[in-house]
Amino acid sequence: MIRLSQVSKCFDGKRTVTALHPTDLHIDKGEMVAIIGPSGSGKSTLLNLIGGLDRPTSGEIELDGERLGGLSGDGVTRVRRDKIGFIFQFFNLLPSLSCFDNVALPLHLRGWPRAKIQQRSQELLELVGLGARMEHLPDEMSGGERQRTAIARALSVYPPVLLADEPTGNLDSATGADILRLISDLHQRLNTTVLIVTHDMQVAHAAQRILTLRDGRIADDRRL
Amino acid sequence: MTLLRLLTWPYVRKHRLRSVLTLAGIMLGVAVFVGMHGANQTVAQAFAATVNRIAGKAQLQVSAGETGVPEEVLEAVQSVREVGAAAPVIEAVLNTNLKGQGNLLVLGVDMTGDRSLRDYDIEGGEEDVVEDPLVFLAQPDSLILSRKFAEANGIQRGSRITLDTMQGPRQFTVRGLMKSDGLAGAFGGNVAVMDIYAAQFIFGRGRRFDRIDIGAAEGVDLETSQNKVRAVVGEGYDVLPPASRTQQFDAISRSLSITINLTSVFALMIGVFIIYNSFSIAITQRRNEIGILRALGASERDVLRMFLAESAAAGLAGSILGLGLGLLMARSLSPFMSNMVRELYGTHQMPDGVSMSPWTMAAAVALGTAVSLVGGWLPARSAARVDPVKALQKGRYQVLSEGENRIRRIAALVLAAVSIAIVVTRPTLTIFYFGYGLMVLALVLLSPSLSHWIALSLRPLLRLIRPVEGTLAADSLIQAPRRTSATVAAVMLSLALAVGFAGVSRAIYTQLLDWVDDTLNPDLFVAPTESVTQRSYRFPLSMTSEIAQVPGVEEVQAVRTVRVQLKGVPAMAVVVDVRQVAGRVKYKPVDADPVEMVQLASEGKGAILSTTLAVIRGIKKGDVLELASPEGILKVPVLGTRVDFSDQQGAFIIDRSLYSRVWKDETANAFRVYLRKGEDPEAVRRRIIERFSSNRKLFVFTNASIRELIMRNTEQWFGMTYIQLLVALIVAVMGIVNTMTVSIADRRRELGVLQAVGGLRNQIRNTVWLEAVAIGTVGLVLGWLMGAVTLYYNIEMIGGDMAGLDLDYVYPFRFALALFPVIVGAAFLAALWPAEAALRASLVESLEYE
Repeated sequence: MIRLSQVSKCFDGKRTVTALHPTDLHIDKGEMVAIIGPSGSGKSTLLNLIGGLDRPTSGEIELDGERLGGLSGDGVTRVRRDKIGFIFQFFNLLPSLSCFDNVALPLHLRGWPRAKIQQRSQELLELVGLGARMEHLPDEMSGGERQRTAIARALSVYPPVLLADEPTGNLDSATGADILRLISDLHQRLNTTVLIVTHDMQVAHAAQRILTLRDGRIADDRRL
Repeated sequence: MTLLRLLTWPYVRKHRLRSVLTLAGIMLGVAVFVGMHGANQTVAQAFAATVNRIAGKAQLQVSAGETGVPEEVLEAVQSVREVGAAAPVIEAVLNTNLKGQGNLLVLGVDMTGDRSLRDYDIEGGEEDVVEDPLVFLAQPDSLILSRKFAEANGIQRGSRITLDTMQGPRQFTVRGLMKSDGLAGAFGGNVAVMDIYAAQFIFGRGRRFDRIDIGAAEGVDLETSQNKVRAVVGEGYDVLPPASRTQQFDAISRSLSITINLTSVFALMIGVFIIYNSFSIAITQRRNEIGILRALGASERDVLRMFLAESAAAGLAGSILGLGLGLLMARSLSPFMSNMVRELYGTHQMPDGVSMSPWTMAAAVALGTAVSLVGGWLPARSAARVDPVKALQKGRYQVLSEGENRIRRIAALVLAAVSIAIVVTRPTLTIFYFGYGLMVLALVLLSPSLSHWIALSLRPLLRLIRPVEGTLAADSLIQAPRRTSATVAAVMLSLALAVGFAGVSRAIYTQLLDWVDDTLNPDLFVAPTESVTQRSYRFPLSMTSEIAQVPGVEEVQAVRTVRVQLKGVPAMAVVVDVRQVAGRVKYKPVDADPVEMVQLASEGKGAILSTTLAVIRGIKKGDVLELASPEGILKVPVLGTRVDFSDQQGAFIIDRSLYSRVWKDETANAFRVYLRKGEDPEAVRRRIIERFSSNRKLFVFTNASIRELIMRNTEQWFGMTYIQLLVALIVAVMGIVNTMTVSIADRRRELGVLQAVGGLRNQIRNTVWLEAVAIGTVGLVLGWLMGAVTLYYNIEMIGGDMAGLDLDYVYPFRFALALFPVIVGAAFLAALWPAEAALRASLVESLEYE
């Protein structure tokens, strides 16, 4: 499903910082993988590279049979919108759009017909338990509700891959557990490949496999 | 100071473009202020410098407007014991016929007496004929040139040059060169001196001089000398120090000053909004930084001070840059104003560089800094009130609260109500202007609510154009008024100014066309120069019958336009045979019976005033004009007023019989020629030229060409308006660029999210473009609305204070519509760069951007 061959990432500044040393990785379809490690170990960099938000300095990334290296900016965006759903720590909802419109946004960007968008967005919001909050603005919702909205948005086209960067990092423990349950549930029901970057070992243990990163290298790869 | 260095400076360096745009807001406001005032002062100073240079050591001048001073007066003045020297002067401008040299200021002087008043600083040489004034006098083709002019044209002593005179082109011999100081420095160095009697002949002055320059006798104080001369020449002549001519300049330029100040106020107000906008955004972005500062122990006052210091520093820097730009603007504006002064006074000057008083410069910098502080005050206050706990939370956005909006709306309605009450009751002009200010403030306060409503109504349209991008663009406007309201207000103000000026220009233009249709109906016009307003040359009145004898001519009307002193300030007299002209032109007074008015005027029993003169000088029907004349103060009753564009500063018509009797001036500036039915104007035109080709230099215009000439002059007159329109549009465009740049920065995360969830590059571009277009459109709609209000006030100002024109209120719909593509196009262009910048930004950084 996801294959990384000698993928590295360096950041050029006054001095060059290697965030990720050349790395090989293979993740199968339907796997739920947690990526853990201390701050600055390269977890988010790895996730951003897999999600096509960033380009590697070297190496090749293959996602569902598609090589990202040869694609243009819009090509990567197309892969992202058809195959990947993102869940961010700070939700990244558009504050001016209602809960419903935030979920509908990726579908609009894909040019779906209005009726189909209406149907799918409603279905997704029911799925994450927000059927009654559709017209609310992000500012009018709790942290947990916002993250549920973000999850619904990430699932808009039922993508084969779900990438979550500290999805519970900005939530209290009860809400965090709730969100984790939702992600696990979706993973099982939809057979989605899930990658979660987290500091929280409780979250990590909900996965089937834990990758530990240290100083830009995979220090440990453990299946539970 | 430490906070500024540690926090502000790195922010400024990081956001260079935004900082530049912030400075540009103030810079433009200050530049308009400096440019307008600078041009005015430059021309005033050039005027004063020319007056002083030409005056030389003269302490007093005897003059009578353009009617001139008869030779007998010179003798009377010279007989006064308290007068040391009295010398006649004629001042005229000639076309040099030299490429790139333009005009030459020619002074006609009496060399025998004049050198005690003016130092000609002639360059030495044994054979220098000017050493002996009698030799100079004996040869009427003698000319002394400034060395600068001579060198620029490769002319030496003994060279012969051809100049246009009333008798056609004449050759002159250069018999001396003046060093380029003092007198020779006047009029940009384009100066020549000739004998006074030759000048009388060449310029058609008859037995008159333009003025008499006087030096007091030794040991006699100026006042005594002035009183004695006054007693001899009578009240019909001004006896004043040369410098007093510059005081008149201030009186005349008043109406221009109102326009200048109005534009400056608008430009500075727009500066306030640009600063407000930039600081609001900066504070939103630096909320986290402010939170940290507060958490580390900075007090509210510390934060307030820091941001006020920032806005003061921005204001100061912007003002200094604006000063530079303004001086450049003044340089390009001053020739226009210079022309106006020449038209008014016949005193020719050529601004050399830009001169501006240090006080005005200091005032400009102080104003710019103050404007910046005003614009920065509200954002600084809200920065100081930031709750450190909330500020340190990520992902919160600023939304203008409904309560805040309601207070603004109520304040706006109260201000508007007061302003309307002032319009209805109209107590004084000053209060009326105050009411104008209140109305502008009311509209500014109301603009966030109005733009919210307009944006709401634009949403379906934008959604129709691009379902996703359009909605996002409209929502950005609706949900983040703090980001856009200041720009919308700035665009609104700029366009309101533009619409107001355009409406007034159009109304004046329409009225001018009516006047041209009514008054300029002769088939041909005969004038001594190519310019209808130039009055250096005149024709003898006897030419009237000579032209009338040309085959095909039915009637000839002689017109003498001349400035006479009306209570010490020149006013244009239009001297005609009133009955004769009334046979062809329908006089339509606004306040009198036309038949009675024409009857009395033709009998020399009164004057017909232009409404402009009536308003500017505060004169009405039934008042008495006190005109300086050779007979002393001539009292002429005002018979009525009518719309008349003969002169920008207003004019009055008197009958030739009255003028000839009092001023004994038998000359004309132009002839209005009516042809017999069926005659070809072009054929008669050629006949007139042929008839006088041997002894007169004249120009014969057809009706169409004179209209074209007048319209061209009018275009020049509107030049200032066009400049203001241009400034208004530049400000509008700059406001949009500013907002789009800060908006993109502000929405960086939002645009990042859009890309992250699948937005293609074109979709991001479209969103940014549509938002810019939407901001432009909202500002445009508000500008249209506010323009309707400013137009009303401008028309009242023109009518009641500046020009005395009773203009119809006609909204310039065409102009307003023409603004649509301009503003939408400008908004689109303004968004191009920010859109690309948004696409270039790193997606990962954008998603983490706070």
